[in-house]
Amino acid sequence: MDLRGRHIISIADFNREEILHILRTAESMETGPPGELLHGRIMATLFFEPSTRTRLSFEAAMLKLGGRVMGFSDPGSSSAKKGETLADTIRMVERYADVIVMRHPRDGSARLASEVSRVPVINGGDGSNQHPTQTFLDLYTISRLFPQLVAGEGLTFAFAGDLRYGRTVHSLISALCHFGGRILTVAPRGLELPPQYIAEAMAHGITVEAVATLQDAIAQSDVLYMTRLQEERFPDALEFDHIKATYRVTASMLAKARPTMRILHPLPRVNEIAADVDATAHAHYFTQAANGIPVRQAILGLVLGVLP
Amino acid sequence: MSNEPSTGSSTRVRQVEAISSGTVVDHIPAAATLKVAELLAGSTDQVFVGMNLRSSRVGRKGVVKIAGRELDQRTLSCLALIAPGATVSIIRDYEVSQKVQIPLPDRFEGVAKCANPNCITTHEHWTTRFAVVAASPLMVRCVYCERSFAASDLSLL
Repeated sequence: MDLRGRHIISIADFNREEILHILRTAESMETGPPGELLHGRIMATLFFEPSTRTRLSFEAAMLKLGGRVMGFSDPGSSSAKKGETLADTIRMVERYADVIVMRHPRDGSARLASEVSRVPVINGGDGSNQHPTQTFLDLYTISRLFPQLVAGEGLTFAFAGDLRYGRTVHSLISALCHFGGRILTVAPRGLELPPQYIAEAMAHGITVEAVATLQDAIAQSDVLYMTRLQEERFPDALEFDHIKATYRVTASMLAKARPTMRILHPLPRVNEIAADVDATAHAHYFTQAANGIPVRQAILGLVLGVLP
Repeated sequence: MSNEPSTGSSTRVRQVEAISSGTVVDHIPAAATLKVAELLAGSTDQVFVGMNLRSSRVGRKGVVKIAGRELDQRTLSCLALIAPGATVSIIRDYEVSQKVQIPLPDRFEGVAKCANPNCITTHEHWTTRFAVVAASPLMVRCVYCERSFAASDLSLL
């Protein structure tokens, strides 16, 4: 399979075989010494919007493969501030770098960049639309925990929190359509999973069921995917305080969980996972974040054509 | 013509003024009639509009006739988006010289504005592109922001 020169814009652009190939390549990054595969290559990181984890893990992945990085992480210091169009910024940077990683506040900006650029563009988040490398690392994490994912042996995934605006949830559900299983949702009123994702999952034979409480989700799931509730979604501060307390996992709530159940979170977490959960066997979000390195190493190596 | 209802006798009454030459857009979904009239009317064109006419095919429909002009490809593409299922007849000498149902393309390029205010195409000068995701009712998805919209919710560029 040849992913050389491929832009990584949306999880919807990838079929099951391509997704599996990326996951297998990521695994090989952990087991074999990758060496200086990207020696002499330059990755540009264009972060028109701040990000900690995504930018640092891309940079770490590139540096571990012997490549170099350049870019900006403060949109105020970019030429966009002076009114340059995104298309012009890309036309310039593609002449300086071998691969571009970009985060931008506008939906669809990464697709536009990919139409301009002759070097691969990797979407590090475009507005509320897509964040495909997060989805690849989520899938990688799940497949390492539960190898039966690939065999389609019916895992139960619970999604909790802001399911309406959470792009990581939407992308992961779209990706899970390639693998099957069962989905439970638990969300505050007004922040439920949009019907289009329910329809998409059901069209792929995945059952989607809204459960009443977080405890119900904990008791029935193999993977509990938590998301952050954002205060600005709630016009009433009192309501937010109440909801925040309802959508919080604590160690004592995990008594009825399956021993193999694992909690994932795209991070940063705020209140939704209590610190006392970190010490339990169910906490897996920091490993999930660490998986960003092999997954991004794999993606960089594949699109730059140094990995088969 | 198809916008003339049967009156139960041999007499057929024309509901919208006949034109000697030009274009008739018929079977327009009733709610889209004025949008179509607006799209077709140049500053000096004579345009005749019939609204909420009875139709055995679509229930209530609109008819728009434009005198002295035939439609270009871009206008046909716009019509496919805002009036899916409409028919276009070219009139020469009061006769229908050609009649076609507007074909539904796979994609619409540069004809409508994305309704997502945060879509990059609403902030940069860039050709909009929509892929058709369902034909009836017509639903399209922005190729850039990946949001889906009912075609009737989009405004033309």
